Amino acid sequence: MEVLREKVEEEEEAEREEAAERAEWVRTEKMMRPVEVRKEETTLTQETLRDLEKKLSEIQIPISAELPAFTKDTIDISKLPVSYKTNTPKEEHLLQVADNFSRQYSHLCPDRVPLFLHPLNECEVPKFVSTTLRPTLMPYPELYNWDSCAQFVSDFLTMVPLPDPLKPPSHLYSSTTVLKYQKGNCFDFSTLLCSMLIGSGYDAYCVNGYGSLDLCHMDLTREVCPLTVKPKETIKSEEKVLPKKYTIRPPRDLCSRFEQEQEVKKQQEIRAQEKKQLREEEERLMEVEKAKPDALHGLRVHSWVLVLSGKREVPENFFIDAFTGHSYSTQDERFLGIESLWNHKNYWINMQDCWNCCKDLIFDLGDPVRWEYMLLGTDKSQLSLTEEDDSGINDDDDVENLGKEDEDKSFDMPHSWVEQIEISPEAFETRCPNGKKVIQYKRAKLEKWAPYLNSNGLVSRLTTYEDLECTNILEIKEWYQNREDMLELKHINKTTDLKTDYFKPGHPQALRVHSYKSMQPEMDRVIEFYEMARVDGLIKREETARTMTEYYQGRPDFLSYRHANFGPRVKKLALSSAESNPRPIVKITERFFRNSAKPAEEDVAERVFLLAEERIQLRYHCRDDHITASKREFLRRTEVDSKGNKIIMTPDMCISFEVEPMEHTKKLLYQYEAMMHLKREEKLSRHQVWESELEVLEILKLREEEEAAHTLTISIYDTKRNEKSKEYREAMERVMHEEHLRQMETQLDYLAPFLAQLPPGEKLTRWQAVRLKDECLSDFKQRLINKANLIQARFEKETQELQKKQQWYQENQVTLTPEDEDLYLSYCSQAMFRIRILEQRLNRHKELAPLKYLALEEKLYKDPRLGELQKIFA
Amino acid sequence: MNWLCDLMEPRVMDDDMLKLAVGEQGPQEEAGQLAKQEGIVFKDVLSLQLDFRNILRMDNLWQFENLRKLQLDNNIIEKIEGLENLTHLVWLDLSFNNIETIEGLDTLVNLEDLSLFNNRISKIDSLDALVKLQVLSLGNNQIDNMMNIIYLRRFKCLRTLSLSGNPISEAEDYKMFICAYLPDLVYLDFRRIDDHTKELAEAKHQYSIDELKHQENLMQVQLEDEQARQEELEKHKTAFVEHLNGSFLFDSMYAEDSEGNKLSYLPGVSELLEAYKDKFVIICVNIFEYGLKQQEKRKTELDTFSECVHEAIQENQEQGKHKIAQFEEKHLSSLSAIREELELPNIEKKILECSADISELFNELMMLEMQLVEQLEETINMFERNIVDMVGLFIKNVRSLMAQCRDLENHHHEKLLEISISTLEKIVKGDLDEDLPDDLRTLFVDKDTIVNAVGASHDIHLLKIDNREGELVTRIDSWCTHLVDKIHKDEIVRNRKRVKEINQYIDHMQSELDNLEYGDILD
Repeated sequence: MEVLREKVEEEEEAEREEAAERAEWVRTEKMMRPVEVRKEETTLTQETLRDLEKKLSEIQIPISAELPAFTKDTIDISKLPVSYKTNTPKEEHLLQVADNFSRQYSHLCPDRVPLFLHPLNECEVPKFVSTTLRPTLMPYPELYNWDSCAQFVSDFLTMVPLPDPLKPPSHLYSSTTVLKYQKGNCFDFSTLLCSMLIGSGYDAYCVNGYGSLDLCHMDLTREVCPLTVKPKETIKSEEKVLPKKYTIRPPRDLCSRFEQEQEVKKQQEIRAQEKKQLREEEERLMEVEKAKPDALHGLRVHSWVLVLSGKREVPENFFIDAFTGHSYSTQDERFLGIESLWNHKNYWINMQDCWNCCKDLIFDLGDPVRWEYMLLGTDKSQLSLTEEDDSGINDDDDVENLGKEDEDKSFDMPHSWVEQIEISPEAFETRCPNGKKVIQYKRAKLEKWAPYLNSNGLVSRLTTYEDLECTNILEIKEWYQNREDMLELKHINKTTDLKTDYFKPGHPQALRVHSYKSMQPEMDRVIEFYEMARVDGLIKREETARTMTEYYQGRPDFLSYRHANFGPRVKKLALSSAESNPRPIVKITERFFRNSAKPAEEDVAERVFLLAEERIQLRYHCRDDHITASKREFLRRTEVDSKGNKIIMTPDMCISFEVEPMEHTKKLLYQYEAMMHLKREEKLSRHQVWESELEVLEILKLREEEEAAHTLTISIYDTKRNEKSKEYREAMERVMHEEHLRQMETQLDYLAPFLAQLPPGEKLTRWQAVRLKDECLSDFKQRLINKANLIQARFEKETQELQKKQQWYQENQVTLTPEDEDLYLSYCSQAMFRIRILEQRLNRHKELAPLKYLALEEKLYKDPRLGELQKIFA
Repeated sequence: MNWLCDLMEPRVMDDDMLKLAVGEQGPQEEAGQLAKQEGIVFKDVLSLQLDFRNILRMDNLWQFENLRKLQLDNNIIEKIEGLENLTHLVWLDLSFNNIETIEGLDTLVNLEDLSLFNNRISKIDSLDALVKLQVLSLGNNQIDNMMNIIYLRRFKCLRTLSLSGNPISEAEDYKMFICAYLPDLVYLDFRRIDDHTKELAEAKHQYSIDELKHQENLMQVQLEDEQARQEELEKHKTAFVEHLNGSFLFDSMYAEDSEGNKLSYLPGVSELLEAYKDKFVIICVNIFEYGLKQQEKRKTELDTFSECVHEAIQENQEQGKHKIAQFEEKHLSSLSAIREELELPNIEKKILECSADISELFNELMMLEMQLVEQLEETINMFERNIVDMVGLFIKNVRSLMAQCRDLENHHHEKLLEISISTLEKIVKGDLDEDLPDDLRTLFVDKDTIVNAVGASHDIHLLKIDNREGELVTRIDSWCTHLVDKIHKDEIVRNRKRVKEINQYIDHMQSELDNLEYGDILD
């Protein structure tokens, strides 16, 4: 402890000194600046210039030579574009400016850490950090907001610690490379996130600074998992209704006030004690959970993202840790200091003291006292009054300053050398490297998977533990996606062994929640339903070993509740199977909502069928202005009188209490009819209960099947996974292809048979070409003649046949039956038709043949293979 | 068949006949036995069938108050009568009778289905009360005027109509005419009217129907206007300031005042009258507006009061219900415990406990009720004070405004008197320029006459103002006393009812327990 304290003291002292120095520097800087500028620009003599140059060159800019986590040889740089491998003149110029800036800086603040300005990229080329930012708007609407963006970056990349936790890395790779290999250190993370955020319009900056151990190592084990935090119930501020003018006075309170006060005092004491105990317990726990003190506290280099208020309706400045994707307030004590920050346009150095973490920092980047900028003329001129004062005093300087500004403006930040950041849809969906990610929280473990990675649709699992060492599981929550049975969340409580399944709307049995301990029927379970999807309006069914309770809503018969008590199962002979041996029902209680169409004294509120006692109890609804409700009890035991006749109804079979006795209800006939009705209803209710039991069995069976099969649904828009659409698409493509082939075939080469006779690959001579042409034409002519002959022949044959038939008809006309005659006539008409067609064809052929011949000749002339022919004419 | 019917004597519905019919058509088998045991009260009968009984005269039906369906077809009834009490009747069948005019149906507001098939009716009439009528069967009658159809337009629910076998059904335009004039009709003469026919009919009779519709619309608008006006007046009446939003009072002052009217022809009086009227009307309007405002105030006061009282009663009821529910839970379990108990002393002990519980419940409920009564009484008294104050203030202010009216009148009277006397002087002197009407000139005989005339006019005016004021004051006073009385009475009734209810319930519980005791002892 002693040593530690000393160390802390030392550190504190150092810090204090540093702070004082820095303050002084700032002061001198403020005073010096205009003078210095003038020196540089105008009145610098050659000598002083040389002197300064010498002095500056003496200052060595330390470059950390450590290699980043994934070594260079794993990266294939051969395929990278030129901008990665070389620097444009403008970039060279920028690097010179940066070097100059760095030299001045280290000259003015020698005790501060060298700036992180131009680390090497993957091709060992120094690149300025701002140009490594490539503002990109992602094509995914999910990545439009900062929270989802940060979550994506944290999921997508695997974290690699810095090679030296106390220094910024020597290399800073392009975001494209980082995305390709899906790993990176905190600088890679924040560069990528910053690029995306600037792309979607945020005022975001990469920060180079110092963070706590947990932050730098992405250690969330001391964080409470955000999923386990229950949303705080917003306490509704109870509106104190103003007492109306005629509100009745409460009855006089006759209790002793003294006693009450004593009671209150006593209770307060007890509560205070309890609170104290609770606090002590908490403190003890806090002690256990507290982090071990970090020896390198405040020295660990970290990089994160700062989002300033203003753009995209961001109300106030905040940090995003790119590792976890969580947002923090700028007051958060895990962020211990800021060295510098940059966006794609400029680079700023923090000139404020960070002794109190980042709590006192003011993020007014236009204020040159607090933030030293590297390039002038960017849009960050958020005013600063002091500057205005200065310019007011010194007019000469103003003019010169203007000149300087102009010059500086001439090299604004060159365009980024990084290629467009692209994330393929597959990668976007898979998110985590290999689609899997595990995060360890305080007393909890969160596992994530890409959708469709697990065959049962599991996408994330949260395991909550009882102790910090994560050995005793408290409960498990599993989230599913795209399941055919619409299972959304499975919650297993390990202490009570209670499993609860939550479903999205759309389950075939309209399940919403199913909590159970075992899948055996007739055990404790609660099933909730989407009542709108059910015909019977069932909301919830609770079961215990001996009871079943159902809750309904929105039924036309106003039933709201049914409760059945079962007796022990009657042992039957082994002959009957288990299915046909339902438990005997002892009692059914049914409750109804008020049916406003009926008067209250006729509207049953509750009816109880005591099946074992053969009794039926009715309770009616209470009238609005009454406090008691009518009741009626029926004994449905059938009795036999002394003569052996069945007694139909006696007055003592129905005991009723009526709030307002009515005439007609006293009648036996009325009671008899009511009882008959109830008997029927009882049968129905019993039947309903049995049906419910059967339904439970069915649901359990279905659930088991679904669990065993766990098929996943695929959206019809998902072209990649949807087998059916894929097949269809492929089939379509095949059809298209075939169609294409057929088209190709139709364009047959008329020269092919003649060319085949000649040796292939040789150029045709003129003679050959002429011969080829002649052959082709004569062949075509022959074909045309043949065709004409063929048509002619058929025509003649057809005519002859017709003539023959006509002759035959002439001869046999007398003996012909009507059928034969019909046959002949139809033949004649058909033959005439054929002849006419043939005639037409022949004519057409005669007309077209010369045209066709000419067309072929023309074609042959133009054929490139017979180029020789054209030469003659040319 | 015919001769058989002729042989049968015409009959009148009598008690025996009805009893027989009810017995025949009542419940059967087991229920029938019960019914016979107990006897059926005519009041409980819902449907009655009295066909083929040669009934000439309907009678003795007044007891069937709840009858829904009555069949009297195939009799020889000549006049519809005796149905006045059967207000719940939904279905009435009077087909195949000898009825000549439709009558006696004015109380059957629930009737939906009326059959007068095969009678001797010649005019559709007297069905105005049957607003729910859906089915009307008038076939085989003697209706011969097409204009009867237009009468049926007023039945908005009418969907089925049969008119075949009437002289009008012979007309070639018959079907088209009906379809056009009764566009909501679905079935005519047992056939569905297809859309095509409807369109055709509509096109054919469009012009006349449009005219009819226009007239009906005009009537409707007139009716609505009248209603709106009535409502407005009603509203003013509840504020006790009706007819004060104009010159009504002023006009009424001069309505019965012949002298005043005559005097208005005097030179200079008409201007005076004009100014007087303007001022008077302004005051009247002031009273009117003030009255409306006060009415609004009284209304909100009353609303708050009733709301508060309602809330209090509701809360009290909830408490009572809760207490009863608690008690019943406990009571049921102790009852079953008693049933299962075997030892007699234990049973007795438990029964005693039970009855103690019951009396405790009684005490609690009565306590609640007493508490409520006290609270309500206090509130009611407060309200009464406030409302009486309010009314008093209103009366006071109205009185002062009315006094202004009177002042105006007095002022006017003086002026008028002045003018009259000066005119009289002029007349006496004989240098009056203008001509005066003769009846006015007769007043200017001497000073007494003219002063009397002016005075009479003045008296009439004052009387009118006094009357109006008196009316207003008495009415608002009586309203106030009425209201307060009613509130008190309602509260008493409520209290009685609740006490009765509690007692009844407790008695029932006690008797149940006693029965149990008795039964146990018997066992």
